[in-house]
Amino acid sequence: MTTAAKPQRRGVGWLKEEFGNPERRTAYIMVLPVFVIVLAVAFYPVADAIWLSLHGGTPTITGSFVGVQNYVNMFENPDFQSGLVNTIIFTVASVTIELVVGMAIALAINRSFRGRGLVRAAVLIPWAFPTVISATMWRLMFQDQVGVISYVAHALGLVSHPILSDQTLLMIACVIVDAWKTTPFMALLLLAGLQTIPGDVYEAARVDGANAIQRFIRITLPLLKPTMLVALLFRILDAYRVFDLFWVLGGQQLESLSTFVYQSVRVSQLQFPEGNAAAVFIFISALLIALFFIKVLGMQTSTEE
Amino acid sequence: MGKERGKGASLMEKKDGDAGRKLSRRDFLRVGGGGLAGAALLGAAGCGGSGGSGSGGGPVNITVAFGRETSGTLAQLIKEFNKKNGGKIKVTWRHMPSDTGQYFNQIQTEFQAQKTNIDLIGGDVIWPAQLAANGWILDLSDRFTESEQKKFLPGPIQSMTWQGKIWGVPWFTDAGMLYYRKDLLAKSGYKNPPKTWDELKSMAEKITKEQGIQNGFVFQGDKYEGGVCDAMEYIWTNGGNVLKNYNTNTVVIGQPPAIQGLATERSMVTSGVAPQAVATYQEPQCEPIFLGGKAVFCRNWPYMYSLAKQYKMDPKNVGLAPIPVSGNNETASCLGGWNFYISNLSDKSKQDAAYKFIQFMVSPENEKRFTLKGGYLPTLRSLYEDKELLSKVPTLQNSTAISHTHPRPVSPYYSDMSLKMQEQFNDSLKGTVSPKQAARTLQGQLTQIIKQGKNA
Repeated sequence: MTTAAKPQRRGVGWLKEEFGNPERRTAYIMVLPVFVIVLAVAFYPVADAIWLSLHGGTPTITGSFVGVQNYVNMFENPDFQSGLVNTIIFTVASVTIELVVGMAIALAINRSFRGRGLVRAAVLIPWAFPTVISATMWRLMFQDQVGVISYVAHALGLVSHPILSDQTLLMIACVIVDAWKTTPFMALLLLAGLQTIPGDVYEAARVDGANAIQRFIRITLPLLKPTMLVALLFRILDAYRVFDLFWVLGGQQLESLSTFVYQSVRVSQLQFPEGNAAAVFIFISALLIALFFIKVLGMQTSTEE
Repeated sequence: MGKERGKGASLMEKKDGDAGRKLSRRDFLRVGGGGLAGAALLGAAGCGGSGGSGSGGGPVNITVAFGRETSGTLAQLIKEFNKKNGGKIKVTWRHMPSDTGQYFNQIQTEFQAQKTNIDLIGGDVIWPAQLAANGWILDLSDRFTESEQKKFLPGPIQSMTWQGKIWGVPWFTDAGMLYYRKDLLAKSGYKNPPKTWDELKSMAEKITKEQGIQNGFVFQGDKYEGGVCDAMEYIWTNGGNVLKNYNTNTVVIGQPPAIQGLATERSMVTSGVAPQAVATYQEPQCEPIFLGGKAVFCRNWPYMYSLAKQYKMDPKNVGLAPIPVSGNNETASCLGGWNFYISNLSDKSKQDAAYKFIQFMVSPENEKRFTLKGGYLPTLRSLYEDKELLSKVPTLQNSTAISHTHPRPVSPYYSDMSLKMQEQFNDSLKGTVSPKQAARTLQGQLTQIIKQGKNA
């Protein structure tokens, strides 16, 4: 796969060398179908979507070429703006909470104690629910006349508005539910990383007189960095594309980038080009986030080097 | 890309003369939507299935799309129709999602792909202009003549009319109604349900205080299609509207009567008669509150009446009345319901067969059976004088509400209008913007949509 995807510049001699060898030839032939499928299902739709996002029209008719006008309209659309802001707030808040709490849980269950296996399994339960199910469940708890959380929050005087009709409270609710749901996932990834750190490193540090905090900052964090970057990238991209949690828990009152795309391309008759542009925007910005992690933060993408 | 694959689509090329461009978008939808392999399979299946129409002497096979029907009456009627037309027409029911939005999305996607596997649609009352503007449904003007139309309720007919043509046949209807607790009203000394919104408010205040009931009035205020229906009723009963005459291009939502309507809706919350959270209620939230005995009044559709027993509420205590009004205005109910549309992509012989099936379904005896067994409100005027129906279906007695139904804006861009209305109506109800501000914003947004729609 990798050899086929990245042809090297070496002239005709290279071609002869590659295809003259029967074994290599077979390898290319075997890789070819996968390559074609990837091209067809991954590359083509993306390229087509980008091309379409430069045209006007309706869901049925592709209009004329309009350049970046759709993107301009999209950025001027207040629904898109609030979707973008909400998505960013949600991503930053939920991933931060998940990293901190997930780290604490990972450190805790990394120690050996009785019933550790059970605790590790129990921690994962929230993550096992499909998001729509947990979102529906939480929405019931946030509801005004029957919801337990709503009842308690009102009794304690924490909120004065119905939670489900207030944008700020809804956002807080979404962050809480997302943290509840995906912190275990984060903890599990971090735990896997923690277990690759050899125990004798800590042993040596302890002998040298380093206390727990020093050991955490000087040993755990640096050695855990590759795992943390992978976990963070996973969660950031996931949170960035949030749809079902906002749609169900927010009762369609809270806009995210993905809900904007859905409303535009599936419900609206006129906003189709803008929705298309927004879909491309999500794709490109997610790609940039991933590139940032790999190039700037030095995330390892393979185990070869 | 852009090359053709089947009969169905080449038929369409002639119709719109824009096939080249259309196909590229269709290909995109297929590839983007389902992945190439799946899309290719679908495409192949679609082509295979689109051929063979009544040729060769066999029966004309028509497919009718409809969502869920729990009473089993629809299945029974289809069976009878097939038996009656044995060998000539065979109707098959294709089950669609029961959620209107999902159903519409599916239909839209299939029509965009020019698929001809649906001949007849049992669909929502808000669809015709959108389907017609895209050339997907048949103009029924020569079949469904004006003298025929006169047999039906005026509201549903009005909602089927767009650009002077009629696009569907009303099947069953739905109307917003005011539910009230007869026992609670009597206990506080009221004989009749409220006629005006002010009466409703004062009655609700008195009864909740005297009898310790949690809520005065609940209705559907959430940001969704139902929220539009409720807000429209406040607007109409204050003498306003969204579009002039329901289906023109003149937007009138910014005018004082419409603003007054939104202000009336908001006043339900500010006066404390409706809970603040009413801005998050849909039908399922209203049911347990009203039928669970926690509210004096509730605005809902006729279906809720039959749920009373499920909630251990004595149906005798549940009263039905027309939607209240402001001042001397006429009562108005939001029109709901389902109708039949014939696919424009089907062959002529199938369209004829489909119309025969429609005539069968909307015949007085079959509409009556559908009402008796399924609880759906009929669309034929004559059935509202039928003694048997009136005695067995209590919601039918509220004929003032049913005969005063109004359609939501009839426009090919209704989806876009609805999205904006949902947003502004909900914001106005929550109090994040003033009724005046919401109406003004909508005036601009809807005008813009119509302008944009003309250019598209």
